[in-house]
Amino acid sequence: MNKLAAKYLRPSQIPTKACHGCGIGMIENWLLQAIDELGFDQDDVVFGTGIGCVGRQTFATWGGDNFGATHGRALAVATGLKLAQPDKKYLIVVGDGDAASIGTSHLIHAARRNLGVTVICEDNMGYESTGGQFSPTTPSGYVTNSSPYGMVEPPFDPCDVVKAAGATFVAETTATQWHQTVKIVKKALQNDGFSFVHVRFPCNENFGAYALGTRDTLKNLEWIYEHTQGRKADGSPADFTWETGIKHDASNSRPEFSKLLRDLNERVRADLAAKAAATTAKSSS
Amino acid sequence: MATVDPALLPNLVAPWSEWERRATRGRRLLEAGTYALTEGAIAAGCRVFAGYPITPATDIAEYMSKRLPQVGGYYMQAEDELAGMHMCAGASLGGLKAMTATSGPGYTLMHDAYGWALTNEIPLVVVDAMRVGPISGITGAPGQGEFYVARYCTHGGNFETIVLSPSSVQEAFWLTIDAFNLSERFRTPVTILTDQVVSDMWEDLFVPDSTEPLDFVVPRALNLSMPFYPVGSAALDVPPNVIGHGTGVCVSAYTHTEEGYDIEEMEAQWAQTYRLVNKIRHHRAELSRYETLGLGDAEVIAVAYGANARTVKTGVLEARRRGVRAGFIRLITLWPFLDSLFERDARYVVCELNYDGQLVREVMRAAPDKRNVHFMGKSAELHTVAEVATALEGVARSGRVPELPFIWTEV
Ligand SMILES: Cc1ncc(C[n+]2csc(CCOP(=O)(O)OP(=O)(O)O)c2C)c(N)n1
Ligand code: SF4
Ligand SMILES: [Mg+2]
Repeated sequence: MNKLAAKYLRPSQIPTKACHGCGIGMIENWLLQAIDELGFDQDDVVFGTGIGCVGRQTFATWGGDNFGATHGRALAVATGLKLAQPDKKYLIVVGDGDAASIGTSHLIHAARRNLGVTVICEDNMGYESTGGQFSPTTPSGYVTNSSPYGMVEPPFDPCDVVKAAGATFVAETTATQWHQTVKIVKKALQNDGFSFVHVRFPCNENFGAYALGTRDTLKNLEWIYEHTQGRKADGSPADFTWETGIKHDASNSRPEFSKLLRDLNERVRADLAAKAAATTAKSSS
Repeated sequence: MATVDPALLPNLVAPWSEWERRATRGRRLLEAGTYALTEGAIAAGCRVFAGYPITPATDIAEYMSKRLPQVGGYYMQAEDELAGMHMCAGASLGGLKAMTATSGPGYTLMHDAYGWALTNEIPLVVVDAMRVGPISGITGAPGQGEFYVARYCTHGGNFETIVLSPSSVQEAFWLTIDAFNLSERFRTPVTILTDQVVSDMWEDLFVPDSTEPLDFVVPRALNLSMPFYPVGSAALDVPPNVIGHGTGVCVSAYTHTEEGYDIEEMEAQWAQTYRLVNKIRHHRAELSRYETLGLGDAEVIAVAYGANARTVKTGVLEARRRGVRAGFIRLITLWPFLDSLFERDARYVVCELNYDGQLVREVMRAAPDKRNVHFMGKSAELHTVAEVATALEGVARSGRVPELPFIWTEV
């Protein structure tokens, strides 16, 4: 076991049942590195997930408190939890289906509210735990198990969606960008507000096999890398390019959601107390 | 001098018959059922409400938005009911008592969250103010269409649920406190199945002074150590789990171990089911809440719950005036179903606010002879006293409910 895993994870829950060569474990290791470099303990961070490979393969690996919501609902649960436990850091590790499809409404409204959580959307461009169907982030034209003739729908970029909704930190990265991802996650965790980190990684078993024609991890990673560069290894242009890096940084620029509610609370209670004091003063004069 | 026939004194079996005697200092108000549900929740220590407005539960949300900040609590307006109940589950997991309120269309959306809260033994209270349906139906008219929906409030089976139903504004207040207490003691979501009439109507309401917590309120306890899930045990009063205290608790949608780890084994499935079913089934007596009247000599017994139990009860008294030996059972606990109330070999007339017949099926199952269980379904309007009296008379004299306009008898 590596040092970070020994420090933060549960020995009984690792390794997970993820397929050989899957990027989920690697990305989790990068999250641990960010947590470690920020000096957080197990007790400082609550780890929340949804359903899918990303959810199931990370749930309960974290040595501190964990929750695994139903498909898409991690942010709704986190909204209530943050109110009750505002001092914790929340790492919400979810898939593209969780975050950008079945749970989109919670994603948008958590961003609007500036809920103090960090969402790590681990995007394998499809519903992989159900066997590799296309999702709202599958690139158009690619073959999956539910787009045998190529996906005809246009995808969207979840970063654009959360930025428009009011997220205070938005970044995109991939499983080929270790140092950049760690740096970004550290920044995300330092925002007392809604942080969204979009990490693309290859699913070898499904997306790799059907869309890219290979289960080879390195080849699949190379495909991702090419699309961060906009050109293939042979120098020819890629079919599209992902702009990675920090896309929006308004960290700590507006109040966090649970703080808004606590402040409201204080204002209402102070008004009540002032009114009560005024009534007592009146009746005793 | 007028005398009261002791057989006709209602017999209420519910913890608040005693609470009412103890809590003597307070305010007498004229208020709506939604107000009583809100104040009951606040008296029970509820500090989080998350929901999405819908008639006839909207006023609960509005009252909550005003009241919660005053007592140090939080009102959240969710993006939908799915979010609302998950937010409540999250807040409760963080250690705060929480409630949501809705009507049928929203209650249906909550099933995902209901299953999650139920499996993870998260205490919280859900109000469903029923209106006539299906779907939007008539927004301002009462219905009782969620009797089974509330029992089977999520998929997958392998669970029991607790469902309570009040029939007056005052009772809505006490019953809400009771619902919170039960949700804490049984570590489960509890549904308050009320209806448009009880939530919208105004009645006198006594609210006890709340400068200090009422002594019959079960406070939130915190489970700070293993086992987080006493699988294979029916024990009550296991403190609820809490996230954020560094206990290492794991809460998920999967079949779980004592630690909360996901597991795919028959033994684990069996042990989890044992817990979820038997913590409720083995404590039916602690969950019995009902009212009866005239059962001493009754040969025909009217059965009802919620708002229409009020006109049904008066119908029973009217039938007795007409010489029918009529009795009355008002269910307050709807689930787990109180089979033992129907052991008597009598005729039963089940009055409910739907035409398809829901409660009647359970009474048929529980009664000694289902051929002696009669259905009197009405929809969108309470049964009238005359209808009930006529039906009871008909059943007593000729063994059947006579034909009446807008009343269904076929099940
Ligand atoms: C309400 C609901 N609908 C469907 C499913 C089936 N399901 C499980 S995981 C999943 C897709 C997961 O996709 P994603 O979130 O991208 O995670 P991945 O498996 O790709 O990591 C689906 C459709 C479910 N569990 N719950
Ligand atoms: S199916 Fe794909 S995403 Fe899921 S564990 Fe296997 S490789 Fe990873
Ligand atoms: Mg996916």
